[in-house]
Amino acid sequence: MSGDATRTLRKGSCPPGPVPEGLIRVYSMRFCPYSHRTRLVLKAKGIRHEVININLRSKPDWYYTKHPFGQIPVLENSQCQLIYESVITCEYLDDTYPGRKLFPCDTYERARQKMLLELFCKILDYQNTTFFGGDHITMIDYLFWPWFERLDVYGVADCVDHTPMLRLWIAAMKRDPTVCALLTDKHIFLGFLNLYFQNSPNAFDFGLIC
Amino acid sequence: MSAKSLSAGSAPPGPVPEGSLRVYSMRFCPYAQRTLLVLMAKGIRHEVININLKSKPEWFFKKNPLGLVPVLENSQGQLIRESVITCEYLDEAYPGKKLLPDDPYEKACQKMIFELFSNVPSLMVSSFKLQQNKEDCSGIKEELKKEFNKLEEVLTKKRTTFFGGNSVSMIDYLIWPWFERLELMELNEWATQTAKLKLWIAAMKEDPAVKALLMDVKHYQNFLRLYLQNSLEACDYGL
Repeated sequence: MSGDATRTLRKGSCPPGPVPEGLIRVYSMRFCPYSHRTRLVLKAKGIRHEVININLRSKPDWYYTKHPFGQIPVLENSQCQLIYESVITCEYLDDTYPGRKLFPCDTYERARQKMLLELFCKILDYQNTTFFGGDHITMIDYLFWPWFERLDVYGVADCVDHTPMLRLWIAAMKRDPTVCALLTDKHIFLGFLNLYFQNSPNAFDFGLIC
Repeated sequence: MSAKSLSAGSAPPGPVPEGSLRVYSMRFCPYAQRTLLVLMAKGIRHEVININLKSKPEWFFKKNPLGLVPVLENSQGQLIRESVITCEYLDEAYPGKKLLPDDPYEKACQKMIFELFSNVPSLMVSSFKLQQNKEDCSGIKEELKKEFNKLEEVLTKKRTTFFGGNSVSMIDYLIWPWFERLELMELNEWATQTAKLKLWIAAMKEDPAVKALLMDVKHYQNFLRLYLQNSLEACDYGL
């Protein structure tokens, strides 16, 4: 079970306390592809963190003190510093924490990954190696992954029929330990979507046992 | 930088000499101005090739398949496009004054401030187009004022002259080109409500890199008029 399997906090809930020393907090939502990026990077780098899920249809009033428009993801550290925008959170984590560097060291290669991100929708022309950054997983693969995990759910898996390289990439990603650890079951996603389109505030807690 | 632009049918330029850097640009483009500001601020030796954006050379699409400026090309033939990416690349690849802070949180703050600015360019273009057609642009101007107020709030909270602290840094250069064009857009009246932004504009005008590239508002006006008429001569106006 993923480390973020907790009920969302909604309007009327009490604000969480300060973030303990040595930990970083991410405000998230289990089915959001943007906060999925941040969670992938936290996992890949082995960063000790806690997750607070936010109910996006019934946001707590205190949450607007974390983000002016109540968006996710947001990182909060023990110095009360807040960082938001998914790509900015991912870069911040890579810069701040030691261990495995997800962005390449080479300046041009880093620029190239950023250019790839810009072309997210036009990725097909740019893949000439197994992963988008070369022969092993790097930042750009994690930044793309959340949408491909959802392709199957959204019924648009056919769009990779004509793209064998991309299909191979998806298969390779599913073998990555970090991706596996956070993979959400298709039926849970479908259950969430179903409730979400009915505007149900219970959508965000779908699939939780407790 | 005052070189005539290259158009469709022109011969492609040769490779970039060792130790040099080339930027494909256009004299009036605010996005390319970002890259030029960073090149100036860091004292990086470079050559400029201006592109006629109304009649792009076929070879330019090999430099950027999207056909947009700015693009950087180095002596290894590596190409970098997207203005923000070129600026970050230059700061990382070249020594001297660092424009982005080393501290990860301060760096993230500059990027979050940049997000606050993101609606300004398209609002300014919309406002100008309405103005040109003598249509009512008061709605758009109200929207722009809201965006400027967000930036005013940042400066008020930080209590520094510039967006990154007490000296000029990356975030200031990234947003400057649009403020240089404010007069052109007849947006000067909002300045009375944004005291800190006014001071920032004055301080930026004293910066050597900004001064080196500062252009007369009449030049911009004439360029823009020609550009919106799709004139092939727009990009070389004033040469």
